[in-house]
Amino acid sequence: MRSLFDRMLLEPFNRLADQSTHVVPILIMVLVTLIIGGFLAYCVRWLTYRLLQFARFDHLVQRTGFAGMIERTGVFRSPADLGARFVQALMWLFVVLFALSAADTPASVELVRRFVDYIPNLIAAGLVLLLGVVVSRMISRSALLAAVNAQWPAARLIAGGVRVLVMTLAIVIALEQLHIGSLPLLVAFAIVFAGIVFALAIAFGLGARDMARQWLEAKVRSSVAEEEVFRHL
Amino acid sequence: MDDLFPTELKARLAQIGEADIVVGIPSYNNARTIGHVVRAVSVGLAKYFPAQRSVIVNSDGGSKDKTQEVVMHAEGGADDLLLVSHPVHTSYRISTPYHGIPGKGSAFRTIFAVARQLNARACVVVDSDLRSITPGWIELLARPVLEHGYDYIAPYYHRHKYDGTITNGIIYPMTRTLYGKSVRQPIGGEFGFSGTLAARYLEKDVWDTDVARFGIDIWMTVTAIAEGFRVGQAYLGAKIHDAKDPGADLTSMFRQVIGSFFSLMGSYENVWKQVHSHETVPLFGFPFEVGVEPLTVNTDRMIHAAQQGVSDLHEIYSSFLSAQTLVDLNNYVHRNGKGFHIPDQLWVRMIYQAAIAYHYRVLDREHLLQSLVPLYLGRTASFVLEVTDSTATQVEERIEGLCQVFENEKPYLTEYWDAAGKEKVHAQSV
Repeated sequence: MRSLFDRMLLEPFNRLADQSTHVVPILIMVLVTLIIGGFLAYCVRWLTYRLLQFARFDHLVQRTGFAGMIERTGVFRSPADLGARFVQALMWLFVVLFALSAADTPASVELVRRFVDYIPNLIAAGLVLLLGVVVSRMISRSALLAAVNAQWPAARLIAGGVRVLVMTLAIVIALEQLHIGSLPLLVAFAIVFAGIVFALAIAFGLGARDMARQWLEAKVRSSVAEEEVFRHL
Repeated sequence: MDDLFPTELKARLAQIGEADIVVGIPSYNNARTIGHVVRAVSVGLAKYFPAQRSVIVNSDGGSKDKTQEVVMHAEGGADDLLLVSHPVHTSYRISTPYHGIPGKGSAFRTIFAVARQLNARACVVVDSDLRSITPGWIELLARPVLEHGYDYIAPYYHRHKYDGTITNGIIYPMTRTLYGKSVRQPIGGEFGFSGTLAARYLEKDVWDTDVARFGIDIWMTVTAIAEGFRVGQAYLGAKIHDAKDPGADLTSMFRQVIGSFFSLMGSYENVWKQVHSHETVPLFGFPFEVGVEPLTVNTDRMIHAAQQGVSDLHEIYSSFLSAQTLVDLNNYVHRNGKGFHIPDQLWVRMIYQAAIAYHYRVLDREHLLQSLVPLYLGRTASFVLEVTDSTATQVEERIEGLCQVFENEKPYLTEYWDAAGKEKVHAQSV
């Protein structure tokens, strides 16, 4: 009877107590690490924000034209706020990895290892996205200026389209770096892009055939006419 | 420098040895008009400089229409009827392709190099699409250099009141305001200059910039003035071009000329900041009234371009124009028809703010210059509407008024130029 009682209740309880003596300190340590880390991350964010304000970061970003975009998201108050929160997020990431590493369980160690191996992909994807933002902005502005100087009525639409296309391409490449559904995305992008071009060609060539002819004729006539009568230099 | 000369040209220059006058004619597909220009130059040299050794150099950009053949075979025809005394020396003629970026500036570089190689005392350059050139132009451009000690002779023409709007609206007033010399046609296209100045031009490392293209004219003029060379003007009558100018696209032409001018403002900052007034520049030749070809201008199209630019490029403009300038621009630019007007002060401030933004690279320089084109078209339309019923004299008075606004606003330019510099230094140091 006693043996049955030991086997049914005491032994599992003892095993649980035994395991708890291993797990509870780890959990406490992880919890403490997260609390302290969270506090540190908050301090780092505050400090970064002050430093960026002192360095007139908002003013510098204002010149690039990104400030309006950041404020329009409604998530960040200013470019300095975005920068500070980004640093806080990095700090949080470091704290979580540190906590997992400190836990020293096979699962957490494996998780940390995989994440560390994944970091180069994350960096590459981040760089691709950053480059995409810069290049798309540059190219769309060039397209806008060229379209405005050619007096095309849909200049902003053209510039916006160029920007979306370049950014989409950058996102597809970034996702490929992250090994997230790259092929379906690439195929989807190619189909959508080809579809847009095809649709525009049909719309312009068939649907607006007369308009296309008139437009081209007017274009040729007006450029020749202006060249013949007007000297700017 | 030898790289500039193809082997054949080197041999030809060695054969010629030395020359007193070099006349350069840059060309690109100008077979239709260059024959007349070469004939006028040949007669001019024979008639006015019979005792001088002269060379005509055609610097060609790879014409496909036999421009070079026309140059080499152009005959004087009834030249003898024009000559009082017969030339002592033969006038040599060279047609050579130039090296470097395709453009007028690269063509000029080869001409400068030829002048230096031949130890020329005077050099004259004339456009290859001129229909109004006469032999007298060569005398007017070269004699002040050869006999009066001038280093640079700019042209002075009568032009239609709507013609040369970049010159009238920006380049002439700004050259006069910044560098203190009233050179009426700083980018005229025809110039006379000394061998010393040609050699000085060659020393500059600008041949990979817009100076190698349409920026060459203003670069030559500003360099001559800012570096203290003796500058004069020559009255040439009317300037009439061939109707079509190959490769003359407004946006790139505007970008190259204005970009070169803004760039020079950075190079000669210490010069123009010391200038507080302007002086007239001696004029050679006898001014006379000439008829000019009528021009028609489509102001509606220009107004539309300006209005579209102000609407679509607001983000770009707000990065380099002040808030007040933007408000004023919006107020004025959206009026239609004859009510459309861009006042002088607003125009001058926009140009000055653009120059400051260009210098401190507030945004991409190409984008900045391209964004000025709609504003320029708006200003041109405004000017055309204003002077529709004006005589040539009244238009000159109107341009004089604009020059005075540029001069009155110069303290604003200097103040904001310096303030922008300090702001940039501060931003870099923190």
